[in-house]
Amino acid sequence: MAKTQSITSASSAEYFSKNLQQVGFSSYTKAALTTLKEAVDNSLDACEEAGLLPEISVTIEKIGEGTAKNSDSIKIRIEDNGPGLEVEDIVKVFGEYLASSKFGRGRCSRGQQGIGISAVTTWAQLTSARGASVITKTEKMRKACQCVVEVDIKHNKGVLKSKEVIDWDRDHGLTCEFIIDARIQLQGEGGLLAYLSGTTLVNPHLTLRYKILEQDWVEVARVTDTIPEIPEATDPHPHTMKLGEFIAHSHLFGRVTIGAWLKKGFSRISDGVLTDLKKAGLKQSLLDTSVDTITEENFKNVFSALQKVNLMAPSTKSVLSIGETAMAKSIQRIGQVDFFAVVSRKPTICDFKPVLVEVAIARLIDRDMPEDGAVTLLRFANRVPLQFDKSACAMTKAAESVNWRSYGLNQPKDSLPLGPYIVAVSVVSPFIKFKNASKETVDASDELVEEIRRTLIQAGQRLSKHIRRESKEADLEKKRQHIEMFAPILVDGACRITRSPKNRRERALEGLAKLLGRDAALAEKELKVAIEHAEEAVMKMEQMTGILPEPPVVEEKPKKKGKG
Amino acid sequence: MATDVNVKQLSVDMCERLLRDLEKARRPVFQATKCALDNCFYNPKVGYLTPGDKKVATELNVSSVQKMSRAIFMIELILRNLDVGATNTKRELYYISKGEIKHNPALRPLDFDDQDESDAIVDFICEMMECYREDLNCFANDRGGQTYSQQLMVMETMPDGTKATIDLSKLGTAPFQPKNRPQSLKLKAKKKIDFCLIVESEGTANTLVNSGFTKRHPVILLGAQGVPSNAVRGWTKLIQDELDVPCYFFGDLDAYTMQNIFRTLKAGSAASLIRNADFSAPEVKFLGVLPEDIKKYDLPDYAVRENDAVESRALKKARDALQNDPFFKDKKNKGVSDILRWLLQHKRRCEQQAFFSVNPRDPLMPEKIIIEKIKNKNFV
Ligand SMILES: Nc1ncnc2c1ncn2[C@@H]1O[C@H](COP(=O)(O)OP(=O)(O)O)[C@@H](O)[C@H]1O
Ligand SMILES: [Mg+2]
Repeated sequence: MAKTQSITSASSAEYFSKNLQQVGFSSYTKAALTTLKEAVDNSLDACEEAGLLPEISVTIEKIGEGTAKNSDSIKIRIEDNGPGLEVEDIVKVFGEYLASSKFGRGRCSRGQQGIGISAVTTWAQLTSARGASVITKTEKMRKACQCVVEVDIKHNKGVLKSKEVIDWDRDHGLTCEFIIDARIQLQGEGGLLAYLSGTTLVNPHLTLRYKILEQDWVEVARVTDTIPEIPEATDPHPHTMKLGEFIAHSHLFGRVTIGAWLKKGFSRISDGVLTDLKKAGLKQSLLDTSVDTITEENFKNVFSALQKVNLMAPSTKSVLSIGETAMAKSIQRIGQVDFFAVVSRKPTICDFKPVLVEVAIARLIDRDMPEDGAVTLLRFANRVPLQFDKSACAMTKAAESVNWRSYGLNQPKDSLPLGPYIVAVSVVSPFIKFKNASKETVDASDELVEEIRRTLIQAGQRLSKHIRRESKEADLEKKRQHIEMFAPILVDGACRITRSPKNRRERALEGLAKLLGRDAALAEKELKVAIEHAEEAVMKMEQMTGILPEPPVVEEKPKKKGKG
Repeated sequence: MATDVNVKQLSVDMCERLLRDLEKARRPVFQATKCALDNCFYNPKVGYLTPGDKKVATELNVSSVQKMSRAIFMIELILRNLDVGATNTKRELYYISKGEIKHNPALRPLDFDDQDESDAIVDFICEMMECYREDLNCFANDRGGQTYSQQLMVMETMPDGTKATIDLSKLGTAPFQPKNRPQSLKLKAKKKIDFCLIVESEGTANTLVNSGFTKRHPVILLGAQGVPSNAVRGWTKLIQDELDVPCYFFGDLDAYTMQNIFRTLKAGSAASLIRNADFSAPEVKFLGVLPEDIKKYDLPDYAVRENDAVESRALKKARDALQNDPFFKDKKNKGVSDILRWLLQHKRRCEQQAFFSVNPRDPLMPEKIIIEKIKNKNFV
């Protein structure tokens, strides 16, 4: 574990236990979701760090009435095949706030602060008087350890309640179980199923099994054996920090000079930059002072001088990508897909932070989605589904700003497009800026919105090949019908108005049939081209992913009415 | 004077051309005058906006065949109306179409889903034949134009040929309401009429009449009720031409009134290019509120709220008009375009009712000011 205790005050556990609503426990339905989410995110992070292909299994049972009105007593159990934890670490991880191996490391991990799972333990303790039940084994341990951990809220310390050494049928892994007051909401944007299917979408290498309440076991198998490569962490960039963060960052370094700290602890600070800092008025003597002795006033001076000098943007090497191939395969796990498009952009810099945006769009066959409802927008930040407060989110804003009509979708002004589509947007960055504490809305800075927008436009262009084929098909069909239906009406009307004889009617009808026949032949040609384009797109997709979307069932579609 | 369009002949001609082309397997193309600002011309001698030679073409093809079939179907309904002198509103035509289609399954493909669809066909016919829908005996609810006078006589020829004479002085407090077909009306003055006053607000026109304006002065007074309808436009033109009396427009001092109300009354509009000859009165003068009136009568005015969407749009339009609208660009209308420029520069506006503030205890004050302004030739 990293040594972060220097900024951990004894009261942090007390603070969080009183403010659980801020970290995902604002309602009983959210409590269930947050518990599931924190545990699964941790398993995924742990497997990824250890280079293991994750296999996670989830069981959720109702075991009775909750202690509070309107709540049920729910047992949630999450098992993983990750590296497991040493006994002394179990206590810290499940029983202590701000104990994390990921803290401030500039990585694109799901968890960042070491709050998540301890908050779950606290909630369990408060509502069922029992903390986290954990079974774990590392490769080194001879036998597994089974124990119960609780949070000592007064002292922010984990307490081991019972401990047993047991035989376990696996080499390594971790199982945790919580009994909490909660309510199970399966469906809807904030439901458990949305979290689970979203998580499988952006984790193509995950095999997930779950059994929720009375439902049968569901297994979603992995579609790739490639574990995402975790890039090197980046040190923070001074231009993305606030003064408080800057000062806190110094505590990690103990007794070094300011100059050495700046060079070692940040990205893009070189000797050249130190020279620039001196030109900007910073004294050499200050750079030579040790960080653990300087005053807040001097921190401020160094900080503001840094903001004034030009620095290179941080490296984009630290971001991680899911990849087009993996996404193409993964999106087919969500349901039966008609056609789809995926785009993975190159990493770039937005607001001085490295960012990578990826988009997957799929049209689903026979989903209970109405044709004229808005598409389902799935948002992901560092591969964690965001399920609330979507309206102000950068991803929502970007999706609404795209002109989807030009790709063949229906779209009301300044809104999401319509239709049975899933539009998944993933933003990965070691420094994601959220709009608020509950981490459900990504801050909509102009640069980030523009980057997401471009990704969506690229995906829309790819998608349009498929949509255009369909609309050309419908178009030709309509044109053929038009000839049959309207030609006699038109000619008969004109003949009545001009009081023309019968033989004239026959001649005019023949002429009209020729004219419109030519039009239809042209439409047929256009359709052929559109089919070729669409097939090329499918071929490309096949080369990339090795799989094709199920060919649409060829059955007479009911004719769509109106829209001419 | 307004000419009758012979819809019957136009329809036969159009169908004749259609059939002739079809018989030769040639693609029929229908051209209509483009009614848009970029096809507008203004000749100060003529006095209203006239069309250039830009055309919009509709050709018969597999996509337009439905629209064309619907048009021919609608023309048959309209010809039937014209034969017997019957009239309908657009909404009634929609239901008549529905009824026809219900009783003749062969016509089912023509069916209209809603009235917008059938309205579009009526408009399309007007475009192709270059006529107003009144020429198709399809009438809108006549709006505005309530007219008061002690001297004016109106002779009307009814659709069935019978005639009626209306003496406006015999109507008591009721106004005369002109119809959308000025060509069926003839005018006569029992005694000399000094002028015709067109008031933007119908309410204010009423107030002036109630306080005795038309009793004290031999005039015609009418309310425009905002943007003038075809009825108001054709009626003003008729008064100007048949009675040869000066016409004055009295309305708000703001960009909207200048461009949308006064310009349309005086020179017609881009949308009605083909019929402006019959529906504009080029001699109408702008009596006020003039910018100088604000100072002279110490009128309460107020600033244009630029963050108000409607008002800022009107200002933007005014800027465009000064650059692109041939009416405002012509020297002859410098007085009017000067007012627009003043409005753009000062961003202030003043309403016609502001004259009621000059002497709040004297209800006849606005009348006195109007008469004084006309006497002093204080208009544009
Ligand atoms: N299932 C697990 N297997 C192995 N290590 C774990 C597991 N869950 C949590 N950890 C370790 O515990 C630390 C703290 O977790 P947590 O309190 O959720 O904070 P965070 O996820 O923000 O780092 C993690 O950083 C990780 O090192
Ligand atoms: Mg976590």
